[in-house]
Amino acid sequence: MALLDILQFPDPRLRHQAEPVPVVDDAIRRLVDDMFETMYASEGIGLAAVQVNVHKQVVVMDVAGEGSEERSGQGLHPRCFINPEILEHEGLVETDEGCLSVPGFYEPVRRAERIRVRALDRDGRPFELETGGLLAVCIQHEVDHLNGRLFVDHLSNLKRDRIRKRLEKQQRQGSGHPTARGRQREAV
Amino acid sequence: MPSPVSPRQAALQALLRVLRDGTSLSDALPPLLARVSPRDRGLAQALCYGTLRWHRRLEAILACWLERPLKRRDRDVACALAMGLFELLYLDTPDYAAVQETAGLGRGLGKRWAVGLINGVLRRAQREGRARAEEVDRDPALRHALPDWLYRRLAAAYGDGTEAVCQALNAHPPMTLRVNTARIPLADYRDRLAEAGLAAAPHAQVETALVLERPVEVSALPGFAEGLCSVQDAAAQLAAPLLDCPPGARVLDACAAPGGKTLHLLDRAGGDLALTALDSSGKRLERVAENLQRGGHRAALVTADAARPDTWHQGPPFDRILLDAPCSATGVIRRHPDIKHLRREGDIPALARTQGELLRALWPLQSFPIQR
Repeated sequence: MALLDILQFPDPRLRHQAEPVPVVDDAIRRLVDDMFETMYASEGIGLAAVQVNVHKQVVVMDVAGEGSEERSGQGLHPRCFINPEILEHEGLVETDEGCLSVPGFYEPVRRAERIRVRALDRDGRPFELETGGLLAVCIQHEVDHLNGRLFVDHLSNLKRDRIRKRLEKQQRQGSGHPTARGRQREAV
Repeated sequence: MPSPVSPRQAALQALLRVLRDGTSLSDALPPLLARVSPRDRGLAQALCYGTLRWHRRLEAILACWLERPLKRRDRDVACALAMGLFELLYLDTPDYAAVQETAGLGRGLGKRWAVGLINGVLRRAQREGRARAEEVDRDPALRHALPDWLYRRLAAAYGDGTEAVCQALNAHPPMTLRVNTARIPLADYRDRLAEAGLAAAPHAQVETALVLERPVEVSALPGFAEGLCSVQDAAAQLAAPLLDCPPGARVLDACAAPGGKTLHLLDRAGGDLALTALDSSGKRLERVAENLQRGGHRAALVTADAARPDTWHQGPPFDRILLDAPCSATGVIRRHPDIKHLRREGDIPALARTQGELLRALWPLQSFPIQR
């Protein structure tokens, strides 16, 4: 397993279109495992291969499911989506989104409230999932990445430019990654 | 996507849902936990459960450092203080981190003034916390963080045993499995667990029970989805053997959800029961259906009020009735510490009345003599 570098907005490589995975083989599984490790280390709940400069349709995610009891030491719920395809969507919901490639910024984005998605799992088996809530938002966010889109594209030009300028400045100063602790999160 | 909330923010929100809004922790926590970064979920959980478990003691310790009690609308700040003190006293987070992170919650609440207050009080707790705790602990109800009414009733009922009972109520619950011994011997299942890297010990009194050394996700349990084992406390595993259903018996499980005991009854009989599982909540009956499916069993699921058999029962009486009636749940406080806050003394006679009504309503449905 290895930690991968996460590309940062406005890196043009985040704009590449990801290719479908023809066969889920050991190399893909290694990529999936590395992506999980990278996502967990970055306090993420979702990561697309494009963000680690691999232009394949692979997404990893961990949005906890049921089970509130004081038992899960780790409480991991890893999910992997290969060649994900959103088949249906309905409703509209607005939530604050951030992005591991746009560190430190959180803005409201509108997404479909419920979706049905089809994908392959880590073993290459097809599955379908109908879901809502944070999981649905996260899937849409990550599928956007596979199409070269970022959550900032859903914002006004003014906001996007302001975020771009601030990040470019940070990157010039070499302090690319603000620490997770310092970043602004949603109000309680 | 990065996780949208920090573990302490999520824990604070969950605590407010319980302490301010009266929601149960098992309803409040899961949706919040889903938003926390996976590796911080353990911390968020520990903060919630621990703060609720020790809340009364924590509040008593904090009281002397506040010039005046916080206003009602500042319950969020009070919760943050209790959570911060819990972390200082009970978790091994470095003190500076616990203080700084908890104080920072004030900003997220839109109460900048609270940052200084939390910071000041928790720094004081760092210096004087242990001494102050010793004073507070002279009162046994505060020492065990129990409401006065509950401590009084426990002391009246258990006498010399009260101290041990209270300690047990505040202990961390073990994760106990019920092995479906009709399908796999206990020792063999223990071997399966060992192969999966999970250590477990047999229970001294309950022959179907294995106590896990460390809690795990159910998905990590071998054969869980196929019904080889279930998660069930040892005491709850005693109900089905006591009922001792003969093959083919007509059985009523009157307050069935979530179905742990329903599944146990059917597992013991190899599925050979004519079982009716009843619950007043259709949503909760879905959990029963999930359990039945996992065990590969069938039963009639009925959403109805058990106290009104005229609305749902016809036909011959039952050979066995399991009435797991609604109760105060004070016996499972160690697993659900939010009960300390949600239960009121007035609930006890009300629950006893409900239990009496259920017993009287269902008694006529039992066939006599009882067949062995």
